[in-house]
Amino acid sequence: MLLWLLVELCVLNVADLLLTRYSLWLGFARESNGVMDYFFRSGTVPTVAFKIGIVTVGALLLWRLRHYSTALIAAALLAGVFSAVVAYQALWVLSF
Amino acid sequence: MAAPLTSAGSTRPHVSEARALLLSALVLLAGIALGAAGFFVERGMSTWRPEITRTASGWLVVQTQRTPLGALALGGDSLVWANGPLIVRMDLRSGRLKLLGPGPLARSTWDPAVSQRYVVWFEAGAASAGEASAWVYDSATRRRRQLATLGDVLSLPSASGRRAAWCTTLSDGAPGIVAVDIPTGEQTSVAPEYGIPVIDGDLVTWPTRTGSAGMPAAWALVDVSGGRRWSIVPAATLPNARLLGYDLSGRTLVWAETDPASGRGRVVAENVDDGAADVVAEVNDGSSLTAAPSIDGDLVVWAEERAAATGSRVMGRRLGGGPSFIVRDVAGRVLSTAAGGNTVAWLMQRGQTSTIETAQAPR
Repeated sequence: MLLWLLVELCVLNVADLLLTRYSLWLGFARESNGVMDYFFRSGTVPTVAFKIGIVTVGALLLWRLRHYSTALIAAALLAGVFSAVVAYQALWVLSF
Repeated sequence: MAAPLTSAGSTRPHVSEARALLLSALVLLAGIALGAAGFFVERGMSTWRPEITRTASGWLVVQTQRTPLGALALGGDSLVWANGPLIVRMDLRSGRLKLLGPGPLARSTWDPAVSQRYVVWFEAGAASAGEASAWVYDSATRRRRQLATLGDVLSLPSASGRRAAWCTTLSDGAPGIVAVDIPTGEQTSVAPEYGIPVIDGDLVTWPTRTGSAGMPAAWALVDVSGGRRWSIVPAATLPNARLLGYDLSGRTLVWAETDPASGRGRVVAENVDDGAADVVAEVNDGSSLTAAPSIDGDLVVWAEERAAATGSRVMGRRLGGGPSFIVRDVAGRVLSTAAGGNTVAWLMQRGQTSTIETAQAPR
């Protein structure tokens, strides 16, 4: 189950990046995360590298710790929260 | 033979792949449900959405007990208004609303202008007009972006086709009228002077040299494509007239004037090339003109308040022939009218209720 949750996490991360990028391009949104705002202003390559990289590293870490039940709980919480954020973003974009 | 020793505590039960997939899908669905619930709850709590109703001939927008609606503008499929500092666009085909501004870093806005495809307005981060910027919403791409930075805001924007025009302080601090090509952002100086411009196509006009009674002594006209400038003198004006408002479409300038002393009012259309004028409407039966006229093509619309403030009429007339007609009799006071194609829109206030309504003008 941990593997499926980590796969979901990575897919949701890509969806979050695409939706955020599109919302910023529409001009109706502003990135409130200072770190991500810096990367968005730096360009596409740094943004993709940072966003994909940091979540991938986190997922690999959780996989490394797969023998502990805490890793499963953490992955489930992260996937749940991430899916809530992506669902909210998707509905917001679709409302345009 | 003794069984091999197993490591202590390794008694985790085996979970099938299908069950693992199902559980992780449930986590995903729970998150999606939470996100969707948050979206709809937040949307339900928004206070800027008025009540929208489709009528037999158009739309009815009603806002009660909240900030009055204002700054009505009509163009293409866009009906735009202001709700306090908020700029709201309604798609006339679907009735869907979109909040265009102000952006996250702005606090105040100025009345918007609409062309077929674009909505243009000003935003500022503070109440002062010294740090404003022009913004544009493109209905084709559904995108909003900054169009230009401004000096002082000296006029509201006007928009037509792919151009917008306004008056602002230039780099030297002096007032000037500029025209902006919306897709490219390229600015053209129209005139190095103060004025409240209206643009239609390549033509920009503004009143100059206000006369002693409040009517402009002349209208300046500039063709921004060729740079030609000329003036016309307003014809068929009332004695002691005061200008109520004006609009431009094609080669026709239309304005409304009132004589406070006599209560008379007049809507006049004048050709900007030969100065030929036509009195579109004359109001002298106790009624009064209440809003600037609007013109699009051959359709002129204006509003009259009936005697003793017993209600108002939204009026229209086709230039080139035919009598004026009543678009709608309403119970409140009409604050502004707009014509776009064959669509007429008006903003009305009655007590605590603001209403915007649209209808089709008879051909």
